[in-house]
Amino acid sequence: MRPDPQPNDPGAADSPAELDPAFVADATVEVRGVSVWFGPKVALSELSCSFGPGVSGLLGPNGAGKTTLMRAITGLVGVNEGSVLVEGRNPRRDREVHYGLVLVPEDEAVPPGLTASQFVRYIADLHQVTDRGAPDAALHEVDLLDVGDRRVDTFSKGMRQRTKIAAALVCDPQVLVLDEPLNGADPVQRAHLIALFRRLGATGRTVIVSSHVLNEVERMAERVIVLVHGRLAAAGGHRAIRDTMDDTPRHVLVRCDDGRRLAAALVGVTAVTGVTFDPKRDGLVVQTLQARELAAALPRLAKAGSIRLHEVRPLDDSLESLFRELVR
Amino acid sequence: MNDVTHSPATAHRRPTPRLLAIMLYTRRSCFPPKRWAALLLPCAGALLFGLLSRAVDLTPDRAFANVAAEGIFSLVMPITALVIGDSVLGAEVRSGTFHFTWLTPTPRWQIVVGRWLAGSLVALVTIAPAAAVAAVIAGSSSSAGPAFVAAAVGSTAYIAIFIAVGCITRRTAAWSLALVFLVERLLGAALTGIAQLSPTWESRAIFVGLLDDPPNRLVREGIPQGGDAVVRLVIVTVVTLALAIWRMKRMRLSGAAD
Repeated sequence: MRPDPQPNDPGAADSPAELDPAFVADATVEVRGVSVWFGPKVALSELSCSFGPGVSGLLGPNGAGKTTLMRAITGLVGVNEGSVLVEGRNPRRDREVHYGLVLVPEDEAVPPGLTASQFVRYIADLHQVTDRGAPDAALHEVDLLDVGDRRVDTFSKGMRQRTKIAAALVCDPQVLVLDEPLNGADPVQRAHLIALFRRLGATGRTVIVSSHVLNEVERMAERVIVLVHGRLAAAGGHRAIRDTMDDTPRHVLVRCDDGRRLAAALVGVTAVTGVTFDPKRDGLVVQTLQARELAAALPRLAKAGSIRLHEVRPLDDSLESLFRELVR
Repeated sequence: MNDVTHSPATAHRRPTPRLLAIMLYTRRSCFPPKRWAALLLPCAGALLFGLLSRAVDLTPDRAFANVAAEGIFSLVMPITALVIGDSVLGAEVRSGTFHFTWLTPTPRWQIVVGRWLAGSLVALVTIAPAAAVAAVIAGSSSSAGPAFVAAAVGSTAYIAIFIAVGCITRRTAAWSLALVFLVERLLGAALTGIAQLSPTWESRAIFVGLLDDPPNRLVREGIPQGGDAVVRLVIVTVVTLALAIWRMKRMRLSGAAD
């Protein structure tokens, strides 16, 4: 299911980023042939990819290895094989790398007995942050400054998550690894946080976000890494991934003023593998294996038959459907 | 983050030293009210042992020495230290909140030593004074000092051991109990080599060695007594903390959910 063959040793290639969408040219996080197992359970298997400035989404079903990958990137979990480098350094061994590398874990757990302000200041102290305004600014960034004096163990799930994000932001990190950061956030906060992550990515920081809410990943991430069963299933922009999945049928809705004649014409196109009429959508659903050829053929057929096209829209181009197909 | 947040770039703060920050955090976060209750119960047990010794048909000094050796140093002190030692690391690792400390540039030795210091301070205000007060309750005021010193040194050594156990396994409480009651109490009673490294036996030796007139049955041959026992436990503590620091490098923090 991978879009392109993956080199066994990315370092051996002249420029892996040019060959494989799993890699980026200006990588700050490099994952090379990583395998992680817990007893008999293999969490990651020979995974190679890299992340650079901007927002990258990490997708996969439960148990795909997203959280393990994030923990391996931050050094919480050592790898059994392969290597992880963050800004050229090993996060397991080099403590200095944590000045610019943070993780917002998915776990709801927060330190009991501390207020949000105390917690953020604690993290600031451990990072030796000298900016007096940094803790309050971080709390302000996630809309928690007003409740900074409340204990975090009394917070709702969404507020806890935002407290952890504030603690991550307080040290002005260059690499942020966010495991399901939108969990429990209300719609307004989701939009706010998505905008925040995009801004962080736009300012040159490497932001790696995992989420189960796929349309949010589409809104956040320019690039997506899909994991299935601990392996890399796909990488790249979600449309690019779709284009590389040549063996996966795609469905396109075509609404026009004469569906019957257009359907007859489409049947003769080699790229088209099926045409049905969808009364709910009031249009034709065209199944194809070669979307580009279909896109070229449609206007030509419409012009030849004097058919007016009202709408041409891919039905399964969302990450949701892509994800379903990848894990099928 | 200045371009993302709106922090005033000019104001500077002097960050709290990391070791102190970890100690303050440990005191605040690792000892919620329920933990304090769990700590004060064995301390109350120590006081009850003090009362119990009054019922023993010996001089107050002899009676308290016997009760303290068997009850306070062999039972109450290890349990109290276990609660403290588990709180400062093992419980945090299990709950998934230890990530927040580990994922900072703080040197590992500061994480381990900071937590040990915080735990030791808690022991110094709970079990150590409880042991001394038990001596006073028993009518053996002269034993209060030795009881305080023995409980303080013994519990700090235990806390170091339980921190090391927390760096090795997530089942800190179970392994720590096994260490105390199977290895120390059972094997240590038979094998002097184990007793020489055991906080239980060495704290008893500190207590007995510092008494003016120790009962002969409490003096164990083959292990250091009094001040020498203090030195022995200090060495045990330092070596155990070094082991914990080394082991922390290899910890796999897989989170609360796993």
